[in-house]
Amino acid sequence: MEKTKSENPDVRKYKLRQTLIDILPLAALAVLFAAFCGIVAGKGYRLDMYLNIIFNEGVVLAVVATGAIFIYSLGSFDISLGASTLFSATLGVMAYNATGSLPVMLLVIFGVAVGCSLLSSVLASVFHIPVFVTTVAMMSVLSAIASQIISVNGGALGGISIPAEVVAPFEPPVVKIVFLAVFCAACFFIFDFTKVGRRQKFLGGNPVCAKLTGISLNKYAIIAFVIAGVGVGLGAFLTLVYTPSVTASTAGSIGMNILVAIVFGGMPISGGPRSRIYSALIGGFSYILLNNILKLIIDSNTGYGISQIVSAVFFLAVVYVTGLNYRTRNLPR
Amino acid sequence: MKKTLTVIVVLALMLTVLAGCGGSKGQKGVDTPIKIGVLVADVSGEEALGFRAYYENYIAKNYNVTFTYTEQLADAAAEKSAIEKFAAQGYDAILSFSSSDRATQLDTCAKNKLYYAVASGMLDDAQYEQYKQNEYFVGQIGPSMVGEYEAGLAMGEYYAKAGVKTVGIYGAFIPNPMHVYRAAGLIVGLGLTYGGASDMDAVVGQIFGDQGVDVSKIAGGVQVVGYLQGFGDTTFDELFAIVGQTPDAFLSVGMATTFFADALNGAGIQYADIDSFTSGNATNMSEGKLTYLAGKYSSSVGPIFAAVVNAVNGNLIRDDEGNALSLNQSYMVATDSDTFNEIFNGDKGDSPIYNKEVLDTVIGKDVTYSDFAALVASH
Repeated sequence: MEKTKSENPDVRKYKLRQTLIDILPLAALAVLFAAFCGIVAGKGYRLDMYLNIIFNEGVVLAVVATGAIFIYSLGSFDISLGASTLFSATLGVMAYNATGSLPVMLLVIFGVAVGCSLLSSVLASVFHIPVFVTTVAMMSVLSAIASQIISVNGGALGGISIPAEVVAPFEPPVVKIVFLAVFCAACFFIFDFTKVGRRQKFLGGNPVCAKLTGISLNKYAIIAFVIAGVGVGLGAFLTLVYTPSVTASTAGSIGMNILVAIVFGGMPISGGPRSRIYSALIGGFSYILLNNILKLIIDSNTGYGISQIVSAVFFLAVVYVTGLNYRTRNLPR
Repeated sequence: MKKTLTVIVVLALMLTVLAGCGGSKGQKGVDTPIKIGVLVADVSGEEALGFRAYYENYIAKNYNVTFTYTEQLADAAAEKSAIEKFAAQGYDAILSFSSSDRATQLDTCAKNKLYYAVASGMLDDAQYEQYKQNEYFVGQIGPSMVGEYEAGLAMGEYYAKAGVKTVGIYGAFIPNPMHVYRAAGLIVGLGLTYGGASDMDAVVGQIFGDQGVDVSKIAGGVQVVGYLQGFGDTTFDELFAIVGQTPDAFLSVGMATTFFADALNGAGIQYADIDSFTSGNATNMSEGKLTYLAGKYSSSVGPIFAAVVNAVNGNLIRDDEGNALSLNQSYMVATDSDTFNEIFNGDKGDSPIYNKEVLDTVIGKDVTYSDFAALVASH
C-alpha cells in the first residue's frame, strides 16, 4: 500500500512541492547572503565590517522573534514586544545608574520583560479578551511610561545611558553568538521535544479540539508569554550592549519586524503545527540582509523610502509563496 | 530532525562567517575626493532640506567632496550602524545632524578612525568635557542649549516690551530638549514664573518633569490663554480654542509656520516662531501676520564643513589647551520684511552667506581656532 502510494505521480509531485516550499526560506537566506557578499565585494567595500554590521542588526531581532514564536504558534499576536524591549532596557539603565551593579541591571531587565509579558496574558485571561488586544494597550502604556522616564532623567541629552565599559565585555560577536545559540537551543528543545511545544502547536492549529482534549489555552498562553518575555529581556540587554543608551525611539521597529521576520522564515502567521522555531532566525537575518542589499543597490541620495517599498512588495510575495505550504482545499482549520 | 540539524549547521556556519571577521581600515589616496557621511534624523523639514541643498548644490560643486546622506535614523542603534557602514565604504568623516546618542556616535567614529563633527545642536557640557581631546572629534558649531534658551528668552522679551497682555503658546515637540529650553526662555522672557521659578535650570527641569507646559503653574503679568504642543487629530481644535480668545500674540518655539501659518494669518493674530528663513516665511511676514522669526540660515553649517576639511587634511583645529572646536552660533532674528529679506536673499543658491570665498579663509594648514571663532562671531 505504501509502495503504491509513493509511486503515485500526484503524491510524488505534492511531496516534492512541499519539500521545496519547506526549504525555500533557508534557500532564500543562502541566496540573499551570497548576493549580499557579492554586492559588497563588487562595490569594493569592506565585507568583514559589513558582515559584522549585519550580525549586530540581526541578532536582537532574531532573539526577540525566537521567543515570540511561542506566542505566534498559538495563533496569537503580540504587538507590544518592541515597547517591552524599550521599557525593560529603560528600567535596566535606571537600575544600573541607581546601584552601579550589573547583576541588578540584568535582574531588572529580565524581571521587567517577563513581568510585562505575564501582565499581557493574565489581563487577557481575566477579562476574556483576545491577547493581541491587551498587547496593543500594553504597547501604548509601556511606551508612554518609558518616554516619561527617559525625558525626565535624560534632560537635554534626550536619552539615558550607562557607561559603555559596563557592557563592553559582552560586545565581541562570539559572546553574542553564545547568547543567541543558547537561547535558540533552549527554545528549540522546549518547542520540539516537550509537551509544551506540542500542545502550543495543537492549540494554534485547532483550539477547539485542543480544548476538548483538556488542554488549557490560558496555561499555555502564559507559558508562551513568559518565554517571549525572556527573549525580550535578552533582546533588551543585547540592545544595550550595542548602544549603551536608551531613547524614546529605541527598539521602536522591533514589534513589526518580528512579524516580517517570522513570515520570511516560512512560518504561517496563524501558527499551528507548521510553526518552526528556526523561522525567526532564518527570517530575521533574511530580512536584515534584504534591507541592506536594497540600501546598497538603491543610492540613498536618490530618494527616501524606496527600499521600504521594495521590501514590502517582497514581503507580500513571500506571504503568497509560503502560503502555498499550508493552503488547502479541504478541512480548513 | 535531520532537516532541523541541517538548518542549524547552515546557520551556524553563516553566523561564524558573519561574526568572525576583523581587520583594519585602508589608507585613503591623497588625490581622491573627501567622502563625508551625513547622519540625519529629519529628512523632510525645511531647515534640514535647506542644509542639504547647501551641501549638495553649493559645497559639493565648489569643493572636491562627496556627501552621502543616511535615511531617517530612528535611534542610537541606527546611528551606530550607519557610521559603521560609512567606515566600511572608506569614508573620511561624519557630519551629524542626528542626536539620539552622540557619545556612541563619537565612540564609533573613533573606533573606526573617522573624523566626527556635530553639525546641528551640541554635546552637553559633560559630554564635551569627555570628548574634547578625542583625536577624531573635530568639534561643534551651532546653537547650544543655552543658545536655545536665549532664543526663546529674546522672543519673550520682544513681546513683553511690545506690551502684549494675552498670549497663546505652542510648545512644538516638548519633551524634545531643544523645544524645552526655548519654551523655558519664552516664559521667562515674558516676565513670567513657572512653578515659582524664573531661572533657566529650574524652569527647564520642571518642564521636563511635566512633559509640557502646565499653564496653571505660570504666574505673572501676561496671561497665557492657552497652550498646545505636538501635532495630531485634535491640534487644530486646540488652536482654534486659543484663537477664539483673540490673544494679542501666538508664540511658538518651533514649527508653527509649518502647521498654523494659514490659520493664524486668516484669524488676523500676530505670531512668532523659531524656524528658518524660507520663501514661505517671507510671505508670512510680508503679507501675513508673522511678526517675529528667529532662525538659522542654510549656510550656517558651512564652518563645520570647513573644520572637517581641515581635519581630513591634517589640521585638526584645537584651542590652546588642545580642545576641540566648540562655538555657539546664535539665531538671526527678523521682525520686519526688510530684515527678513536681507537675511533670506543673502543666503540663497549660488551666493550663500558662507560662500567659498568666506570658507576658504578658514581652510588651510595654518588656520587656527581663533580664525574660526572670529568667522562664526562675525556672521
